[in-house]
Amino acid sequence: MRVIVKTILFICVYIAQMNGQSTQQKDEVSKAKIELGHRLFYDADLSINGTMSCATCHEQKKAFTDGNTMHPGVLNDPAKRNVPGLANIGLFKNLTWANNHLSGLAEQSLTPIKGTNPVEMGMNGYENEIIKRLSQNECYQKLFLIAFNKGNDGINLDNVSLTLESFEKTLISKDSLYDQNLKSKQALLSKDAQDGKELFFGFAKCNSCHTAPLFSDDDFHKIELQNQVSNNNIKENGLADITKNEKDKNFFRTPSLRNAQLTSPYWHNGSVKTLLEAIQKHDLEINQTLSIENINKIIVFIEALTDYSFINNPQYARPDKECKY
Amino acid sequence: MKIALFIGILFISLFAKEVDLPLELNAWKSLSYVNAAKNTNELPNAVLTLNKASFVGLHNTPKVVYVSRPIKEGGTVSYGGIFQIEITEKGIYRIALGNASWVDVIKDADFAKSIAHKGGPENTGIHKILDYSLEAGVYILQLSAGGDSTTGLLVSKIK
Repeated sequence: MRVIVKTILFICVYIAQMNGQSTQQKDEVSKAKIELGHRLFYDADLSINGTMSCATCHEQKKAFTDGNTMHPGVLNDPAKRNVPGLANIGLFKNLTWANNHLSGLAEQSLTPIKGTNPVEMGMNGYENEIIKRLSQNECYQKLFLIAFNKGNDGINLDNVSLTLESFEKTLISKDSLYDQNLKSKQALLSKDAQDGKELFFGFAKCNSCHTAPLFSDDDFHKIELQNQVSNNNIKENGLADITKNEKDKNFFRTPSLRNAQLTSPYWHNGSVKTLLEAIQKHDLEINQTLSIENINKIIVFIEALTDYSFINNPQYARPDKECKY
Repeated sequence: MKIALFIGILFISLFAKEVDLPLELNAWKSLSYVNAAKNTNELPNAVLTLNKASFVGLHNTPKVVYVSRPIKEGGTVSYGGIFQIEITEKGIYRIALGNASWVDVIKDADFAKSIAHKGGPENTGIHKILDYSLEAGVYILQLSAGGDSTTGLLVSKIK
């Protein structure tokens, strides 16, 4: 009887230990993937001539946009659209301005790296060059080994994209004045912001597309009735460029309004400089009835969606040169 | 190497002469060669002269030890380098650059913040223009994340 009890106890302790180890290992793997993605996000070796990283266009201080109408590619090829922000990007199903066919952030991350329409980082056909460059870096060698446990075989483009996804999923913005106000009434919105909030969720119906808490419904809409004019002679049909369905022409994904104060210029083609112009550009009936005073109150509310802890979070900033691994 | 430099200087000069340049960029039409420093020891040989355009030679990024970590670092296949320039009086200074390299202007470990930036005039070989408000003193000018081993560089006083 004693032997049986001892054996059962031993098995229980063994299983508990193994579970503990396995959780610890998983944590370590997960941390390594995020660290790798973080370093790769800031590494210009992902571009053909080493001059452009993801962070070149996605600057933290601008809520991961870049302040330009459009950012030309690494070899000066014209861009197609304005750089979208990355706040809470891991919570979106649809990625970029107009694409509902991407399986997730990993697949999306390859679009700037090796896409050709337009050419951004210019690595199409040079994928092996990325592997060669990364394989020469000791820090990457160690991190890929921990993250994928496959030695140098782990350094491949699929895994690069998986680590970028791991890092991008950590880009969480939920500490704006609006969020603080929701949690605690001590964080007060100004009178105008409060009025703007009521308009936003009420009469102006902004929330029907810019739906809280993401302030985007993650869906596609056509809010500009006229045909789109491309700035750079690049064909622009919005979602229809992907779906090839005429019905989707000029449909674009609702951009999140979180941190919108920092992400000017606006619109899919960066054609609008201010929030006022952006609101007025919505070709919607409701705009006919909104006074400038009310629009300005809505803008004050949108400004309360700015999350300064997001743009100053060291976990998203350029990583130290020194490798901790 | 020398032939390549000669062709480079000739190329930029020819482009520059096609259009009229604003007064402060007029020096762009005549460039003299300056090799960038790879580290602070080499800085005495990488001195830029105010209002004189230089055709600068840059180094493969891993070989460059910057004075301060550049705000935008290039990858291992990019180019960069360090220069020194003396500013004799307080004013607004304009940096014209022939490529898209990142520019850091540093004095006593402090990065000067550009007050304006724009693209260069068409057909001049000037890719971008940056303005800085600078006090008198010796400045370090760092180029990083460049796509070419050579480029044109001019620092001029505009106010």
